[in-house]
Amino acid sequence: MSIIKMIGKAATGLAALALLSSGPAFAEPAAYPVKVVTLVTHSSPGGGSDVFLREMTKYLGKYINATFVVENVQGGSGAKAMARVASAPADGSVFYATTPTYIYTSLMSKPQSTYKDMQPLVNFFLDSEVIFTRTDGPFKSLKDVIDHAKKERGKWGAANPASLERQAAEQLKRVAGVNAAIVTHEGGGDMMLNVMNGTLDIGIGEIQELRSQLDAGKIKLLATFNPERIVDKPDVPTVKESGFDVSFVKFRGLAGPKGLADATAAIWDKAVIEVLNDPEYKKAYSAEVLVAKPIDHKEYPGFVNNFATTTEEFLKTTGAIK
Amino acid sequence: MATFWDIFHLLTETPIFFVAIIGLTWGIMGGALPGISASITMALVLPFTYAMDPAQAIALLACVYIGAEYGGSIPAILIRTPGTNSSAATVIDGYEMNRQGRAGEALGISLMSGVVGSLFGLAMLILLTEPLSWLALAFTPASYFGLGILGLSVIASMSGGSLIKGLCAATVGLMISTVGTDPISGVTRFTFDVPDLIGGIEPVLVMVGLFALTELMSQSGSVGMARLNASIRIKLPSWQMMNKLKRSQFIGCILGLFEGLTPGGGGSIAAFMSYNEARRWSKTPQLFGKGSEEGVAAPETANNTVASTAMIPLLSFGIPSSNSTAVLLGGLLMHGLIPGPRLFEQSAQVIDSIYVGSFIAIIAQIGVGIVILPACIWLVNRPRHYRAGFIFALILSGIYTLNNSLFDLGIALGLGVVGFFMRLARFPVLPMILGVVLGHMVESSYRRSLVLSGGDLRVFLEDPIAVALLSLALIFIVFSLAREIRDARKAKLKEAHS
Amino acid sequence: MNKDILSGVVLLAIAGIYYTWSTRIADSTLSDEIGADGLPKMLAILLGVLAVCLIGRTVLAMGLRAAAATATKAETEEEEDDNAPLPRALGFLAFGAAYVFLLPFVGYIVATALLIGTIAIYEGAPRRSWIVLAAAIGGGLFYWAIFVKLLGVNQPMGSIFQGLF
Repeated sequence: MSIIKMIGKAATGLAALALLSSGPAFAEPAAYPVKVVTLVTHSSPGGGSDVFLREMTKYLGKYINATFVVENVQGGSGAKAMARVASAPADGSVFYATTPTYIYTSLMSKPQSTYKDMQPLVNFFLDSEVIFTRTDGPFKSLKDVIDHAKKERGKWGAANPASLERQAAEQLKRVAGVNAAIVTHEGGGDMMLNVMNGTLDIGIGEIQELRSQLDAGKIKLLATFNPERIVDKPDVPTVKESGFDVSFVKFRGLAGPKGLADATAAIWDKAVIEVLNDPEYKKAYSAEVLVAKPIDHKEYPGFVNNFATTTEEFLKTTGAIK
Repeated sequence: MATFWDIFHLLTETPIFFVAIIGLTWGIMGGALPGISASITMALVLPFTYAMDPAQAIALLACVYIGAEYGGSIPAILIRTPGTNSSAATVIDGYEMNRQGRAGEALGISLMSGVVGSLFGLAMLILLTEPLSWLALAFTPASYFGLGILGLSVIASMSGGSLIKGLCAATVGLMISTVGTDPISGVTRFTFDVPDLIGGIEPVLVMVGLFALTELMSQSGSVGMARLNASIRIKLPSWQMMNKLKRSQFIGCILGLFEGLTPGGGGSIAAFMSYNEARRWSKTPQLFGKGSEEGVAAPETANNTVASTAMIPLLSFGIPSSNSTAVLLGGLLMHGLIPGPRLFEQSAQVIDSIYVGSFIAIIAQIGVGIVILPACIWLVNRPRHYRAGFIFALILSGIYTLNNSLFDLGIALGLGVVGFFMRLARFPVLPMILGVVLGHMVESSYRRSLVLSGGDLRVFLEDPIAVALLSLALIFIVFSLAREIRDARKAKLKEAHS
Repeated sequence: MNKDILSGVVLLAIAGIYYTWSTRIADSTLSDEIGADGLPKMLAILLGVLAVCLIGRTVLAMGLRAAAATATKAETEEEEDDNAPLPRALGFLAFGAAYVFLLPFVGYIVATALLIGTIAIYEGAPRRSWIVLAAAIGGGLFYWAIFVKLLGVNQPMGSIFQGLF
């Protein structure tokens, strides 16, 4: 649904506000070929990617001289958003806010436009994928969970049926060589309830969705699938450190129509680093446990393609796709 | 917990008052437009809340939610089009009352029932959030399966005389619910590589197609029901009437309370079930489907209760139980508020303003309703040849809003044809709608339970909630079958005598 | 043919087609024992059985009635209701189909105005009346104001006007 023109308008206003309030202390924003940049997301207004984008557009205007508008194109798990972006002009006016979802949808649902019809531009963040359990439960570490699954059947939760979390769970199960039922849900909230009430041993999900119960001390983190420890949670080991060679990165970046001019992409390369170093924004995103991971337009396509290849192999070996 | 003075201060502070009224009015308007669900109505104001004070922003969203849940009943009664999913059950008797020229009465009942439900829900939210949130936690996948089956058991008594036809319709509804992405494996089913189908067919398309478009088609060219409502006055229920409705409203409150707590509901199951239960416990069950006041009161109380009780899992766990509360969650996050037990301590002002704002909105609903409802009745009483086109255009515009998809319009039109043939062949449409609404929950929770238990069916017998719900479902089915057989016998006897 | 028997045959056909489609659902090791095609196959069989029951029951009832040699006139009379005749009802819906078809080309306002105007004439408004024209144009603008301006819905503005803006 791209109904949210008004949201766009409000965002425009906000971006303008942000521009004003940034004041003279900052350098002039870089010149940009178009006036209005539309960032397309398949997330609904108020959904994860949507909130993330709106937050970021507040700061982007400081570093790129354009007005940023968020457009929600829901439907088909990103299939519609991809079609919208792939057919847009490649002048730097339209980008798609990417997460691994767009790779999964491209591979599983065979939509008209796939990730191959777009050009990855830059990366901003890595989301922290974590393994969590209830605080008053029997598990103190990832090893406990695996040991339990060796003795009897483990019960592990993943947020969505075909997702990075699912893939992470399946890989962990394979590497550890244990028997665990991997139960998929209708999103992270549903799964968290089942972890809290003891239906599941562990859940695998994004740290953002767990914050309320993490703060309340009802659930605790056992490990993260990130390649490195999370800066804000230094006590939480990585899965690799716990003895299982599995790691995943959930990226958050932008992709655009093919054929974007190199000069335009270079503006973004610079802006990404600047915006991620913005002290105010840094405070906001650190609170959400997002890990800054700038990747420029030269390396990013390789990064995304590598991710896609791994995913495709996984889906093929499991028979989910042919 | 807020002190009396905190609340007094909030009440006398002007903004919250205006915020509540504006939110409510916007909500009623959005809810009343077919296709614009409560969640879309809320999403549309979301950007305006950026610049607002967090407490007011969240109160605004909560008031929009209350208004939208109520607003859905207006087109359900007046043009046989549920404005929101959860007002589908209101169509049955509400539209019938309208056909009898009692639109003002039906709207008055839905208005007051909405107020009763909202007040009850708000009281639960304020007083019992803590204990009720733990009830929400007790629901396992097996319990959800029980809940879904209990919902489906309503079919047995909603088949309008022919159980076989009802079951056929329900099966087709369940078939429609299987279109899209499989909830367990993630493979696509019946999508034929059409991207619009990956997310499945939205229940509202089925409701609009089967109810509204079918009705428009069958009215075409007829003089039937032109200007039936001589008066455009709203008739608020008298004390006597409220007394009569007491039982159905009580049922609506209780079922709404439970559905609000359980993720995945969103009000439609509670609305259908309370309709069914209100009929079961009514002194005049034979009037249901023929313009029963209780048939309007029960579902409207239920879905308005949900609008408040759905906040309980949201505020205490950060878990949105419906699309609407998901938008509210987005609103909270945008203001840096993280729902959870600590929200009540750290941001008591936000919580207070949700309470106070909701209370103002609920009371104001009566006034706003009295002002706008006559205009709505007047509008649908225009000459038939203009009315038909305007309603048709309204429905098509609303459906387009869902996903900006012409494909959705095609599906709704196709279902309009299906609905018309069903009407000709005397198939009931309600079981089909229930099938579409519940199919996903029943299938996914059943399979999820079996994955958890390793294929052991005892998982459903070991979960106390599942056992209770499944036994209830069984009792309902047996009762309905017994009644069906008894009625059939009676009919036969009658035939023999005549 | 009797309506119920006809419906039974149609339902049987739906069950058959749906079953054939459900055999084409991809098999995945990520799936559970029941599988993505478990419920669909079960539903297809259920619908098939129900359809056969419906046909069987109707045939049986007809047989009984024929034996009793009672006229079924009473029943057919009862079935007369306030439904519009089929061609008329389908005609009504055809305007909707035309709307869907025209919407991307002529845009929201024109399509909506055409829909309101043509339906008004179809439903018996006096032709060549300026009221029809006014209602159509006014309706188009009114809905445009609500959905596009107020709610911000991205309704198609029409490809034929694209050059003009």
